[in-house]
Amino acid sequence: MKEIRNILMKLPLELVFWPAALMAIMFIDPSHEHHFTLCPLGLAGIEWCPGCGLGRSMKLLAMGDISASFQMHPLGGFAWAVILYRMFEIIKQLKTKRNYG
Amino acid sequence: MANVLKHLPELEGMELGYIQGILKNMDDEQAGLFAQVYRARRKDSQMVLILALLGFFGFAGLHRFVLGQIGLGILYFFTIGLCWIGTIVDLVNYKSLAYEYNIKIAHETLSMMSSTNSSDTDQNTAPSHEA
Repeated sequence: MKEIRNILMKLPLELVFWPAALMAIMFIDPSHEHHFTLCPLGLAGIEWCPGCGLGRSMKLLAMGDISASFQMHPLGGFAWAVILYRMFEIIKQLKTKRNYG
Repeated sequence: MANVLKHLPELEGMELGYIQGILKNMDDEQAGLFAQVYRARRKDSQMVLILALLGFFGFAGLHRFVLGQIGLGILYFFTIGLCWIGTIVDLVNYKSLAYEYNIKIAHETLSMMSSTNSSDTDQNTAPSHEA
């Protein structure tokens, strides 16, 4: 039990969050009209939000539909690139981060 | 064997341990120089926290810009911090974000010092007329 907790404490939160987010995105069905949303603006009933559609855009891009992806949210491809690069960076740091030497 | 508490008393937790590991191999003079440079360049975790909090008011991603992560900064800014979710994650995670940046800076400081030191020793081997 203690060992499991130690391993969990050593894992950077971001290295859990980004893959989980990407996994969730792969399960999105972009054709749904009323999709499940976590967006606070969307939940408050405000129609326009600059972040909404990003997940669906990334999923459409993963399915290979570039133009629809760009219409859903122009930053879809950019988000894929940046998030994958960030995950790569965190994994690269795992070795050097604990203590010096 | 320099003491980190003497040179950089503001450090806490993981960062304190890490910098102590660096200062172990230094004498007091070197450690003083390292502390000066490092203090000028490191980012306080509280600043990361405050900048991340601005994400709730429409200026998301500033903390990522400050930590040199331009790509994520742009992404956060144009999506209100990934619809607040990314901002909330970074609020939970602000200390390790600052820590990650600071150990990078520590390594940069070390390499800068070693490069200037080598030129210093070159001068020291030459006969100097300084008092």
